[in-house]
Amino acid sequence: MDNEEAKFILKAYRPNGADAGNDVFCSALEQARRDPALHAWFEREQARDKALAAKLKAVAVPIGLRESILAGAKMSHRERAWWRHPLVYAMAASLALLLAVSGVWWNVRARTDWSQVTSLLIADAARVDRHGSHGTSASDFVALLSLVTTKLSTPMPVDLKRLKADGCRVFTVAGHEVLEVCFNRNGGDFHLYVMARPGARDLPDGPRFVAQRGIHTVMWTDPYHLYVMASTKDEAALKAVL
Amino acid sequence: MTDDTFSQLVDQYYPSLYRFAFSLARSEADACDLAQQTFYVWAKKGHALREAAKAKSWLFTTLYREFLRGRRRGERLTAIELVPENQLEEVTLEPESVAAMDGGVVMAALQEVEEIFRAPLTLFYLEDLSYQEIAEALDVPIGTVMSRLSRGKAQLRARLASRTVGNGSTVLPFPTFKKSASHG
Repeated sequence: MDNEEAKFILKAYRPNGADAGNDVFCSALEQARRDPALHAWFEREQARDKALAAKLKAVAVPIGLRESILAGAKMSHRERAWWRHPLVYAMAASLALLLAVSGVWWNVRARTDWSQVTSLLIADAARVDRHGSHGTSASDFVALLSLVTTKLSTPMPVDLKRLKADGCRVFTVAGHEVLEVCFNRNGGDFHLYVMARPGARDLPDGPRFVAQRGIHTVMWTDPYHLYVMASTKDEAALKAVL
Repeated sequence: MTDDTFSQLVDQYYPSLYRFAFSLARSEADACDLAQQTFYVWAKKGHALREAAKAKSWLFTTLYREFLRGRRRGERLTAIELVPENQLEEVTLEPESVAAMDGGVVMAALQEVEEIFRAPLTLFYLEDLSYQEIAEALDVPIGTVMSRLSRGKAQLRARLASRTVGNGSTVLPFPTFKKSASHG
């Protein structure tokens, strides 16, 4: 092994020493001990890597991310319980039979905690708000939303596939794909989150207003979609847009 | 997995996962979304993992796959041209210069490294995974990881050196990148 080969290998040696017991590095490390020039290079390389690793680990993590992760996972636990726990699974099978016989089966459906969904979207809106508005590649739809005459609670020409293709932000909340469109109305910034209407029956019938952490939201549905609109403006401003 | 065990797993890895996601997505909101989605997938499927010791690799692997899956059209960096390898190796950067830098500056420089090198490089500096584990997470051969680390380090060094003129570093011109991402 020449020094260039040793350098190539030693560049993958982590500066925290976690690779000390890794056989792959033994020969290269031994060579660095014997060769003064290689030794000097390795010391500098490690010092620089150590400094870079420290800087990267010093990058701040957004406040509230941990809480959002834990809240999102709790919803997943609920969904999982129906399917994964053998005892619950067996009980559910028996219960299903009983309910089918008694004719009340259709009154019972798996539930999504929509207040949790709203909380997660509020957390997202808070982050977005901190970073200003987004691009508006879906300009036609954004222009429509920005018109003073547009009432969002009336049926809107929402084409999720087209908006997604146009570059609108898409992310997942509790297993539901959510698309975000930002617009401005009367000097206020609004974030409109849209998802395909889930089959759940426990969705709110009318608009439901929630305020958390200085963010006001309203959730409503139409036959095809579920909407959550968030803004730092108050409930009256949301109603004016709705 | 109990709630306590899950919370411990989150506490242990969410900062590193977020930083990895931030280097890839280059947006705080998207990085948060990626980290959250990774743990959501874990909560749904990860409990089936038989070896708890593999949770760490599983989380980084899942985050990277979610990033690749969700990457939107037109969001890739386009390198106008590459600096020849021999020129990159000539760029020097003293450890003391790095120590004097702000973490945000280092992250910004890292985000400008070509994506193919950035993923292994970030995982290397987070120090959670060995290069063999990085190879598994990114689904590339071990030799490729070593090669990408070498080249990625050179790109990062050049990017950082361009920010430290007068601090004993030699600077070579580096290509500019164009970004065409938008959302909202």
